[in-house]
Amino acid sequence: MLIEQLAITTTPKYSFPQPTIDTSLPQRFIELSIHSLKHAQNQPFQLNQQFFQQNNNLKEQIQTTRTELQPIPLKPRLEETMVAAVDTSSIKIGETTKGMVIAVRGATIWKHRRYYRYLRFGPFIFHVTEENKKEVYSALQRTYLTSPHEHNHHNGSPSLLQMPTRMASLLERWQQTMLSRTVTNGLILFDGSLTSGIGDTPTQRMKEILDNTRKKGNVVLAFSKMTSLRFNGYLITDMLVNYKPPYLFKITGLKPKPPIVLLGDVYVARLTKGNYAFRLDIDKQVSIERKIEALEKLLGNDLFSQSYPETLRLAHILCTFTANEVIAMQHFIARKYDLKIINRPDMHRLLFGPFGKGESHS
Amino acid sequence: MKLYKKEGNIVQILSFPNETVEKGDYLLIEDGDVGKALIVQVIDVQFANIPGILEELLRSLPDGGELIQGEDFDPLEIAPHITYIQDARLLRCKIRATMNNESLSTSSSWLPSRSQSTIRMLPIPTLLKLAKTAGNLPIVLGGTKDSMLLTIDASLLDGRLNIITGKKETGKSHLSKLLMLDLVRYEATVVVFDLNGEYISLGMTSDEKRNAQYNKVHVLTPSQNFKVVLKKLHLHVLLNVLIHAMHLPGTSAREFRTIWRSLKREGKLTLHELGEAIRNCRCNHHVRDALFSRYYALVNSGFFTDNVAEGILLEESLFKAGKEGGAIIINLRNTSPIDRQIVVEYVLGKLVELLTSWKLKAVFLFAEEAHLYLRETYWDDIVTRMRHLGLFTTFVTNQPNTIRENIYRQADNIFLFNFTNEHDLEDVSRAARVDAETVKSIAGDLSPHYCLVLGKVVKDFPMVVKVKALDIKTMGETRLFFKDTN
Repeated sequence: MLIEQLAITTTPKYSFPQPTIDTSLPQRFIELSIHSLKHAQNQPFQLNQQFFQQNNNLKEQIQTTRTELQPIPLKPRLEETMVAAVDTSSIKIGETTKGMVIAVRGATIWKHRRYYRYLRFGPFIFHVTEENKKEVYSALQRTYLTSPHEHNHHNGSPSLLQMPTRMASLLERWQQTMLSRTVTNGLILFDGSLTSGIGDTPTQRMKEILDNTRKKGNVVLAFSKMTSLRFNGYLITDMLVNYKPPYLFKITGLKPKPPIVLLGDVYVARLTKGNYAFRLDIDKQVSIERKIEALEKLLGNDLFSQSYPETLRLAHILCTFTANEVIAMQHFIARKYDLKIINRPDMHRLLFGPFGKGESHS
Repeated sequence: MKLYKKEGNIVQILSFPNETVEKGDYLLIEDGDVGKALIVQVIDVQFANIPGILEELLRSLPDGGELIQGEDFDPLEIAPHITYIQDARLLRCKIRATMNNESLSTSSSWLPSRSQSTIRMLPIPTLLKLAKTAGNLPIVLGGTKDSMLLTIDASLLDGRLNIITGKKETGKSHLSKLLMLDLVRYEATVVVFDLNGEYISLGMTSDEKRNAQYNKVHVLTPSQNFKVVLKKLHLHVLLNVLIHAMHLPGTSAREFRTIWRSLKREGKLTLHELGEAIRNCRCNHHVRDALFSRYYALVNSGFFTDNVAEGILLEESLFKAGKEGGAIIINLRNTSPIDRQIVVEYVLGKLVELLTSWKLKAVFLFAEEAHLYLRETYWDDIVTRMRHLGLFTTFVTNQPNTIRENIYRQADNIFLFNFTNEHDLEDVSRAARVDAETVKSIAGDLSPHYCLVLGKVVKDFPMVVKVKALDIKTMGETRLFFKDTN
């Protein structure tokens, strides 16, 4: 074990990133961001009437679950281990006559020797239109997807409405790649599952990320805040086992419909007292002993509140856009790119008065 | 700055970090389409209620209260915009006037356009010019925040009731001296009831040289250079002293009147004869005892004399001041409470007598901590009868609750220094010429020597001024035990 060894090669600031790391994606993000915004110049700009944080809630097309109702008890291991987490967030900040203005931000958090550190990327602001969405998305995909096979496979660009989440996913994969290459003998926490094959989680890339993490002695633990997996009609996270936490139990017999691939074994983890449990995906290629050891190290090295690791919680908190940041970004684009803010009436409110709940509730 | 809201006569304005606005500043909200402008005064500066600000602050402190360390890769430089939004301020402003073609009116019945109106700072000199406060008798009070001089006109103190108040050591006496010296400079007659001997060096500079007003400052110390000749005293003045300062009962007062008239008829009005007359008086022995006790109090005060040469200074000084202006300082420093009341009763009686007979045109009276020597009935007298006779009072106090409510209601000008205690500000805010919100908000934050001027001298535009320094010998300092050891 490399308990005393620094898991990240130090750089003058915050030990991240390493000089050899490919930083082309943020660079491309900046270029595309500025380029797209220049095309939005002098256009009327309609503020988004309901701010909402976008997240990927695509329903998993996975059927049939079985559980091993014998829980695996966990005992915190106090061996010092680096814990790192990644999360991204996207938001639509307004509409133009041709499309919409979105913002994307990512956060990476480390916990090392009792201290949390962060590195935040963004916000990157894009003006996405029907005309440029393919160009923007493909350019980023090209930078991000190294495998030609993968690139051809996902040649189509997402719909305009999907663009915020897809852009955020691209940034998230890049951040995950960076972590997989820089952290050694640590625990890397992802937000979501290890399900791949859907639009923003190409299987090849996910496999590469997991391979890299394994080579560096890391284990990926993916926590899903929400899941649609059910057993006997109940959500798997609602199944209460009369057992003292921390523990996890395995979900078996999952049969994903192609092209969906499960790259991790699926567990339900209840890590602290209380009724909170999460779906936890752990890299399939890691032995069961290492999986348990990784989770026990996480218990011994991170803080937990409501069964959720603090590092991942901080990653989420730090990338989420607050309302005043949205106002600030609107201020930025209005000032810098001369977008004229217009107030388009909310048709629901206009037609239905107090019974109209706003366009997002339609 | 952007107009955000109006409720009653309060306007809320959104201000951004690059716009430096403080409490007390004046703003002009101009609506070009209507051709009118609102003049508002900032009475409070708050943080704007920006959505999501709580989340923003909470996430900066998630690590057990310690600031989480990290780095932001912010290529578009959005962070300054976020700070700009987060630091936005909400200015609560009171509507003071409407400007229409360079003329001011107090009406606030119209509303400027929220989207089209422009908001800018209104410098104090411009406001004073618009308000037309300037006159022929300028008194420079000091400097405003924007380093401009705040000048009032002495004529706006004429015929007015003024209050100077604030907590200890904020500069009340200093402002009183400034007003006195300028009034004297304009040949006004000023009488000061000087409780702590603070004004006795009004004619001296800090290096103990005579200043320009030296010859116009007359310090009268009771029982020393200020005495009253008994036979020159009017009976009603002495009866006022006996009844109000010495609480002589009515029956005894009647007896005293008889004795006095008898002595006056016989031309024997001396202290000795008065004593003898009381001794030989054929009256109830209780009455005699009552008269005797008051007689000895009068004699022991040392304030009364039979020597005509000793008792002419007050009238002389008043007549001199009436001709060329001057300040008569009644030094009450080492005077006992009873003697103090005797002196004040006498001086006020004398002033009323001289004013009624038009021997004096008008007098500006400065009364420090008047509750310590002014009898109950005088408070009403001062705001009603005496004002019409030409006695214009300025009350100076650090205990605003000692001044009666009707005085506040009638006050024309208030010079308000800092108060920390809210109850004190409550008392002051009873004044008719001021709104409680302005008083509480601005006066609570004033630094020493900064004064909130309210009332007619500033045409009801409350203004904050740093009272200018005076080259006067400081008196009335607190005696300190540790002075030499520090």
